[in-house]
Amino acid sequence: MIARIHALLQGDAVSQRRWLAQPDARAFCANLLFIIVGAGIYGFTLGIWRAPLQSVFTALKFPLLILLTCSGNAVINGMLAQLLGSGLSFKQTSLAILMSFAIAAIILAGFAPITLFVWYNAPPLASQNAILGHSIMLLMHVFVIAFAGIMANRRLLHLLENMSGHVATARAVFFSWLAGNLFLGAQLAWNLRPFIGSPRLAVQFLRHDPLRGNFYEAVWRALWHLFH
Amino acid sequence: MTTPPPLPNERFTFGPLPSGHSPASLIEALLKYPGQIIHELQFNWRSALTIWFMIFAVAGMALYGLVVGSFAGGAQFWIAPAKLALGTVLSVLICLPSLYIFACLSGIDAHLRTVTGVFFASVGLGALLLVGFAPVAWIFSQSSDSVPFMGALHLTLWAIGIHFGLRLIKGMSQLLTGRIGTQLRLWTLIFIVVCLQMTTALRPIIAPGKTFFPTEKKFFIDNWFESLSGGAKRN
Repeated sequence: MIARIHALLQGDAVSQRRWLAQPDARAFCANLLFIIVGAGIYGFTLGIWRAPLQSVFTALKFPLLILLTCSGNAVINGMLAQLLGSGLSFKQTSLAILMSFAIAAIILAGFAPITLFVWYNAPPLASQNAILGHSIMLLMHVFVIAFAGIMANRRLLHLLENMSGHVATARAVFFSWLAGNLFLGAQLAWNLRPFIGSPRLAVQFLRHDPLRGNFYEAVWRALWHLFH
Repeated sequence: MTTPPPLPNERFTFGPLPSGHSPASLIEALLKYPGQIIHELQFNWRSALTIWFMIFAVAGMALYGLVVGSFAGGAQFWIAPAKLALGTVLSVLICLPSLYIFACLSGIDAHLRTVTGVFFASVGLGALLLVGFAPVAWIFSQSSDSVPFMGALHLTLWAIGIHFGLRLIKGMSQLLTGRIGTQLRLWTLIFIVVCLQMTTALRPIIAPGKTFFPTEKKFFIDNWFESLSGGAKRN
């Protein structure tokens, strides 16, 4: 298991090609485990500033968000990979994407002690500077998640370049997957909110009407209010 | 000396389709080796191939229609699939003669049956991609109340699907003439406009309506502007 984590983080082309050449249940289970544990640990630190219960909820929801994004886009990602000429099968595309999310989850788990340390030093919810504490936690998580995402996607791009043998094909497949995963992931994150937890709202697993509203309309409304 | 197998990256590698065609193998060929489909339809035509592609197109659009109908629910669960399947067939029937003529004008020496088969394969591939997008569209149809947003989303996903689908028409031109004529590019534009107008001619598809077909004639751009300015919501 440690060797597998090592190979994933290093972007070991030989091991990754071997896993992808014959994707078996073991490879899928290992990556699922990395996602559930890694994202779960980081999820715990995401919600801890708001309340201990929120951190438990977020520890469950963060891996769920990744797995729902992967499964929601599994079919279209497989189709796009084949259409764009990567030569990867549905199983191989699903495994490649799981591997990239597993890398992100491992990186996030590695950051968990640091985020816990920041939480320990941040103004707590009960203090007068609660808004400052919330802002610090929010910004830190945005940077950490963005960093993990960028690193994982870099590994995925290298993997695709290795597998397809064509840089242009690999980039086309990579950006189509990235666009699809960002598009669906943002909406699913909206549906599964709260993650960090607003200081003014109650601690909840999901908001009262999780399927009401969508992320892009909310962004549009926010921009509208900003400029009018 | 044996010929090496074609690289998977060479999208339009024209060659015969391996024997034994199941629907699954045809879908795989559409996605991975569309060149083989075009080759088969030109040099080894069988009606079964065209029929399968027609089934993919109609069934795929109907399946995606279920997701479109899930936005409003109720009667739209059957109205949206029916209208999308009907609209697809009508668009193909309306544009097939012009495709054949434009193909001839481009210097393509293809039979009508080949053009028909490739056209259905194109639309079938677009529909299959929409089925792949269905989980994404479903999440948004359950989350959003805005008809214009859902309309824009469905159109974007359809545009991605048809972009890949219409590459088969260009592939046919490449196989038979070695180039893609301006006439075919123009026809592509005509087909897209016909499809967009079809969504207005068969409206309402996303939101429920008082009548099955519209009572007022309208161009699709008018309809879009009205929807956007009205900001229609889910009932």
